[in-house]
Amino acid sequence: MNIFVFVKRVPDTESKIRIDRENNTIIEEELNFILSPYDEYAVEEALRVRETVGGKVTVFSIGPDEAKVVLKKALAMGADEAVLIKDDSPEAYDGLRIAKIISRLIKDKYPGYDLLLFGKQSVGADNAQVPAMVAEILGLPQVNVVTKLDIDDNKGTAIREIEGAAEKVSFPLPAVISAQKGLNEPRYETLKGIMMAKRKEIPLISLQDLGLTEEELLPRLELIKMDSPPAREAGKVIEEEPEDAAKKLVEFLHKEAKVI
Amino acid sequence: MNRKTQNLKKTGKTGRKSGMYNKVDKNIITQLEKIVGLKNVIVDPEKMVDYSHDEFSLDEIARNPDAVVKPVSTEEIAEICRLANTKKIPVTPRAGATGLCGGCVPAFGGIVVSVERMNRIIEIDMKNQMAEVEAGVNLRDFYAEVEEAGLFFPPHPGDESAMFGGLVATNAGGARAVKYGVIRNYIRGLEVVLPSGNVIRPGGKLMKSSSGYNLLNLFIGSEGTLGIVSHIIIQLMPPPAVLRSLIIPYDNLHDAIETVPLMIKRKILPLAVEFVPREVIVITENMLNKKWPCTQGNTYLLVILDAAGAEEMDRLSETVAEVCLEKGAIDVFVADDPKKQELVLDIRSKMYESIKEYNIETLDIVVPRGEIANHVEKIVEVQNKFGLWLPTYGHAADGNVHTHIMSARLEGGKIIPLSEDDWKEKLNQVRNELYRDCKDRGGMISGEHGIGIVKKDYLPYVIDKEEISLMKGIKHVFDPNNIMNPGKIFD
Ligand SMILES: Cc1cc2nc3c(=O)[nH]c(=O)nc-3n(C[C@H](O)[C@H](O)[C@H](O)COP(=O)(O)OP(=O)(O)OC[C@H]3O[C@@H](n4cnc5c(N)ncnc54)[C@H](O)[C@@H]3O)c2cc1C
Repeated sequence: MNIFVFVKRVPDTESKIRIDRENNTIIEEELNFILSPYDEYAVEEALRVRETVGGKVTVFSIGPDEAKVVLKKALAMGADEAVLIKDDSPEAYDGLRIAKIISRLIKDKYPGYDLLLFGKQSVGADNAQVPAMVAEILGLPQVNVVTKLDIDDNKGTAIREIEGAAEKVSFPLPAVISAQKGLNEPRYETLKGIMMAKRKEIPLISLQDLGLTEEELLPRLELIKMDSPPAREAGKVIEEEPEDAAKKLVEFLHKEAKVI
Repeated sequence: MNRKTQNLKKTGKTGRKSGMYNKVDKNIITQLEKIVGLKNVIVDPEKMVDYSHDEFSLDEIARNPDAVVKPVSTEEIAEICRLANTKKIPVTPRAGATGLCGGCVPAFGGIVVSVERMNRIIEIDMKNQMAEVEAGVNLRDFYAEVEEAGLFFPPHPGDESAMFGGLVATNAGGARAVKYGVIRNYIRGLEVVLPSGNVIRPGGKLMKSSSGYNLLNLFIGSEGTLGIVSHIIIQLMPPPAVLRSLIIPYDNLHDAIETVPLMIKRKILPLAVEFVPREVIVITENMLNKKWPCTQGNTYLLVILDAAGAEEMDRLSETVAEVCLEKGAIDVFVADDPKKQELVLDIRSKMYESIKEYNIETLDIVVPRGEIANHVEKIVEVQNKFGLWLPTYGHAADGNVHTHIMSARLEGGKIIPLSEDDWKEKLNQVRNELYRDCKDRGGMISGEHGIGIVKKDYLPYVIDKEEISLMKGIKHVFDPNNIMNPGKIFD
């Protein structure tokens, strides 16, 4: 089974994000970058599929040289190969642009795949567009927001989250799957994995190699303004002796919060 | 808080007599209220129950004070001491009350001086890389502030509610002592209120001093018996550039522990090396609903490394992995990103909580590092002999082994509580056997928690008579009326 996983380097969700308002970008200095958590589920699932039905796992990332770090991580977890599609342009938050690059890449350079795995969305951009768009461009079946996946020879079944319920679907391969939290518990890298990943060459592919024109690569979105969410209001603290505090709390819940 | 029984006994096993002290009468309460303000004096017995014990589990040693006072300044502490000293009333300093040997329990009643309101971090002096804090600053707040300033405070005792007054008084240690030493190594200056009410300030913002006897170090580890610490000057360091935790499963405990001296022989000095049994991990996993990184093996070494850069980190971890695998480790798992490291540490630090309900006593034996494996083997032997569960884990590389004597057995991963009749007698026997083994190996009965009330009877077993008599002499010089935390360390 030939499995491809697409991963992105994103700011750590725990980091404090600062915004450069003049240039409408986030300030990268002092930011910690990680493999997007949903992508990590996708990598883990790829490894598990390989462990049950055999095959090969290749991980791709689109981004600057720094994105190699997340590819190394996927290799350390156990992926067989990793490829960087070098793209130095700033984050455009345009899912279609990335979907076009991915579709062209696998059509031209990596045909013969069985399973395309993605995170359901990348943290940071949070568009949840790329997996669906790639499936559309390539004309493949897609199952998004998957919490359980079973793959056989040339078909699969998946459970996906829908509002208030779960949906079970079956599909032929090749197919696009996007991973939701709960799909699995990603493994810890082993030291052996890390050292092997360190020595492994990561081939680079440029956007020119893919024959994409500047016109095609132009984002279709214009980012007008970037800002932080408003600061949360401080919570209310009732500082009284227990009996008085309870009375005050009830009064507050009744009169101000109007919940009782 | 999980207390074994709720009734408060006035006298405990040492038959404490309060005869030589005066009672705290109305008049004294009024004077205390004048010093610290009406609402900072507690005399209601029900409200004082919280101040009658620390984290030691048995109520045998608990005792209510006659009054709890909460001063907010050195001057207030000084006035309290002056009053108590003239009136011959015992004074017991109290900080976070996370102590494990009854150190802050008012053994003779009297006044508990709680420093909880003295919680100001006075400064972080970047030029000298030192901080000055009040005695009631807890570790949690201190770490946050130090990190914010881009600096590092290496010691890491396990309970972050502990406060600097208590940390200094017990000379606390923690997991990182292997590489960075204990609290003593970071205390540069103190402000101390003596039992007389006089205030002294040994040390200062100094890296070194050879000017007379070192009173500073005498106070560190004195368990509140020489005076009340009010301010502390603390050495800080630049933070390590990279941290990495290695989680290393083994099929047996002995191999895991024997790896540690080999690591040291290969000149690797980890930030911390902890050994943890899988049985306790599983109980903690269930309590927290979190997953430990791997399920293989029945014992883990948790090795935390720090390094100046990624290259050095890889070199160090490769050597550690090599040694471990040679010694029979199943694999070496890595937690690199902060979230994973936090998860591992979280499970490690909540292990105590997960078994606390049945923990009677936490031993704190320290043996030479080369003897840990043998001592741990003895613990397993004693566990089998007495049929008490003795979960043991801790700081594998500094020789400090924490054995928990439980009022339970463990069967198929399940805790089976024992009746008091079943464990009461065994408690002393188990303790005696382990202390004997400790002594035979050249160890001490406390590595970091202190003697307090609980280990007092055993001090003469490991410390020479003449040394104890010198200690008593020192105590007398500082506290001729024996009002400062009486009934601790020795009688
Ligand atoms: C889950 C858990 C994990 C722990 N892990 C560790 C560990 O890794 N390493 C370690 O060393 N300990 C550990 N401990 C024990 C405990 O946290 C330490 O002994 C700590 O130093 C106690 O500090 P405290 O503020 O709680 O002091 P308290 O318990 O309030 O008092 C301890 C002693 O200090 C004296 N004292 C308090 N304040 C003053 C003052 N201002 N002046 C003079 N004397 C004073 C008291 O009289 C008493 O004798 C652990 C405890 C728990 C519950």
